Amino acid sequence: MTTRRGFLASLMAVGTAPRLGWAAVGNPDFLAAAKDPDGRFALYGLSATGATTFRVALPARGHAGAAHPTRAEAVAFARRPGDFALVIDCATGDVLHRLTPPAGHHLNGHGVFAEGGALLLTSEQVAETSDGRIGIWDVSAGYARIGAFATGGLGPHEIRLMPDGETLVVANGGIATDPTDRSKQNVDTMRPSLAYLSLDGDRKDEVDLPAELHRNSIRHLAVRADGLVGFAMQWQGASGAATPLLGLHRMGETPGLAPAPLADELAMQGYAGSVAFGGDGSELAITSPRGGRLHRFAPDGAFIGAVTRADICGLAPLDTGYLASDGLGGLIALGPDGTRALARQDVAWDNHIVTL
Amino acid sequence: MRLFAILALALGLAPPAGAGVDAALDDHILPGFAVFASRSADLADTAAEDCRPQALRPAYHAAFDAWMPVADLRLGPSETGALSVGFWPDPRGFTPRKLTQFIASQDPIARDPQGYSDVSVAARGFFALERLIFDPGFSDYARGSYTCALVTTIAADLANQAAALDAGWREDFAETLRTAGTPDNATFLSGQEALRALYTQVASSLEFTAQERLGAPMGTFERPRPARAEAWRSGRSLRNARLAAEAAHGLATALADWPTPQSDAALDALQAAAARIEDPAFQDVDTPQGRLRAEVLQQAVTGLRAAIATEIGARYGIAPGFNSQDGD
Repeated sequence: MTTRRGFLASLMAVGTAPRLGWAAVGNPDFLAAAKDPDGRFALYGLSATGATTFRVALPARGHAGAAHPTRAEAVAFARRPGDFALVIDCATGDVLHRLTPPAGHHLNGHGVFAEGGALLLTSEQVAETSDGRIGIWDVSAGYARIGAFATGGLGPHEIRLMPDGETLVVANGGIATDPTDRSKQNVDTMRPSLAYLSLDGDRKDEVDLPAELHRNSIRHLAVRADGLVGFAMQWQGASGAATPLLGLHRMGETPGLAPAPLADELAMQGYAGSVAFGGDGSELAITSPRGGRLHRFAPDGAFIGAVTRADICGLAPLDTGYLASDGLGGLIALGPDGTRALARQDVAWDNHIVTL
Repeated sequence: MRLFAILALALGLAPPAGAGVDAALDDHILPGFAVFASRSADLADTAAEDCRPQALRPAYHAAFDAWMPVADLRLGPSETGALSVGFWPDPRGFTPRKLTQFIASQDPIARDPQGYSDVSVAARGFFALERLIFDPGFSDYARGSYTCALVTTIAADLANQAAALDAGWREDFAETLRTAGTPDNATFLSGQEALRALYTQVASSLEFTAQERLGAPMGTFERPRPARAEAWRSGRSLRNARLAAEAAHGLATALADWPTPQSDAALDALQAAAARIEDPAFQDVDTPQGRLRAEVLQQAVTGLRAAIATEIGARYGIAPGFNSQDGD
C-alpha cells in the first residue's frame, strides 16, 4: 500500500545524500540516554534483550529523544528550558545539526518525526507566557525551521503521533513557568489538557480533567495502535492527595481515570514519569521514580498490580509486556511470567526509552 | 574487617555490601518485626478481654513503641503494608470520617476482624485506634457497645497485619535482600543495590521526622499547627520522633561495620534536644519558647541525617536517585 508517508519517505530517500540506516548501528529496538560512571552523558542503542548495539557521546544531559524512522539519526532534546536539540548520527556520534528554536521559544524535552521522517515536530513553549507551540522542522532541508502552531494550552510536554499519521496528540501540562528559573507561576489556576491537532495545527479534539484534578499536570503519553491514548500525570497540589496518575482517552469520547488502591497511590508520591502500553496492548503501565514503583492497569482503567524497582522511570513496550529502565543501570523485562533482569550496566538510565 | 574497611577507604573502594545487609536484617529489622508482632498480639488479647480505653492504653503504647523501630521502612511487605498500620499524616481527615461513618451506620464490619482488612487503610491501625480510645469525641463508650466491638476488631486486624509483616519480611523479603545480584532477583541487581535500598530508608525516615513529625505541627511562625502533630491525642508525638530517630541510627549503624562516632554524637545531641521539649504532644509549638525548642530538635534530626550521610552513605558511595531527583 502506498501511503502519503511512504511516498514522501521514498522521495526523501532519493532526494538527499545517502545516510546510514538503523541496520548499520546494529538494528537497535530502543534508544535510551544515560549518564556514564565518569559523569558524562551518552545515547545508547539497545536490543530487545537489553544488549547495547551502539553508544555515542552526548554533550549534555538530555531529556527525551526522537528516532528517525529509517535513518540512523536521533534527536536528543535538552532538558527544560531547552534552548537546543541535537541531531546525532548514531553511527559516528557526530552532531549533524544543532536545532535552535526561534528567539523567545523554549524546547520542552519531547518531539516526534512525522510524514515518514520528512518532518520533525517539537514540543515548545513561548518563554514569556508558557503558551504551547509545536515547532516544525524540514528534515530534508537539513532540519530547517519552517513553522510553528499553537497547542491550545500552556507548558506542553510529551507529544505523540496518532496511528493515522495525521494527528498529533499533545500533553498540555498546564503549568506556566518562569522563563529563567522554571519556577511554577500558576499552580492555583492551572488547567492541563489533552489536545489533538492536525499536522497543520487545526484542533480536532481537546479534553480537560474534572475541576478537582486541575492541579494534575498531564505530561506523558502512550498511544495504542487502535487510537487509545494513555496519559500520565504529575500532581502539583498538596502531598498525600493520592489522585489518579493515569487517564485513558479515545478521540471524541470522555476521558476515564485509572486510580490505584489508596496505599499504592500514596506510594507513587503523586508522580508518574513515563507511560507505555504493553507489547500486545492488553494493558498499560506508569512508572514513578520517586516511589520506586510501576503500576499496571487494564485498558478499562482497572488496577492490575505494582512492581517495585528503585529509581525506575523509562518504559517501553517489549514482547507482550514492557521494558523498564532505571537510574541504577537496570534494564528489566516485565511479562506475564513476572519480572526479569535483562541487563545491568554501570550507567544511570535517563527518564525515557524511545522505541524504534 | 575494620582493617579491610580502612584499606577500602584508602583505595577509594566501597565496602562490601553483603555484611551490612545481613546485619541490618538480623540486628534491626527482623527482631523489630518479631517484637512488634508479639506486642500487637498482646494488644489484641487485651482488647478482647476489656475493650475500654483505660484498660487498653498501656498495651496500645507498648505496641506503638514496638512499631516505631520498623515504622518508617517502605520496602518489601512494608512498602504499602506500613500505611495501614500507621496512616499518618491525614490532612484530609480520612480516619475520623471513616470511623464516624462506621459508627453512624453501625456497619457490621466492626464485628468481622478478618473482613476488616478490606476496609480503607485510613480506618485501620494505630491512628484509628488512637481516635477511638483517646479522642473524647469517641472514647466514651461502654463494654458491649458498637464502638467497643470496633476497637476490638481494629486491634485484632492490627495483630493480623503485624503477623503478616513479620512473616513477609522473615520468610520472603529478607531473602530478596540477601540474594541481591543473583540471576533470579529482578528487584536488586547487585548487593550494592540492596544496601542502597536499606540506606535510603534511613535517610527518608529522618527526613520524614524533620519535615512531618516536627515540621507539620510547627507549621509557619505565623501559623503553627499543633493539631497536626503525630499521635498528639495519645501524647506520643515526641516519643515517636525520638524512637524514629533512634531506629534510623540503629539501622544505619547496623549497615556500617566500622565505628560511627559522628553519628553517635549526633544522636546524643538529638536526645538532649528532645529532653528539653516540655510538651510531649508538641501542643506548645504556638508559643515562642515551644517553637524554638521544636526547631532545635528539628535541627538535631537534620544533623543526625548529615552525620550518617557523611559517615556511612558516602563511604558506601550512595548518591541520591538519578531520576527521582529530576522532576520534569
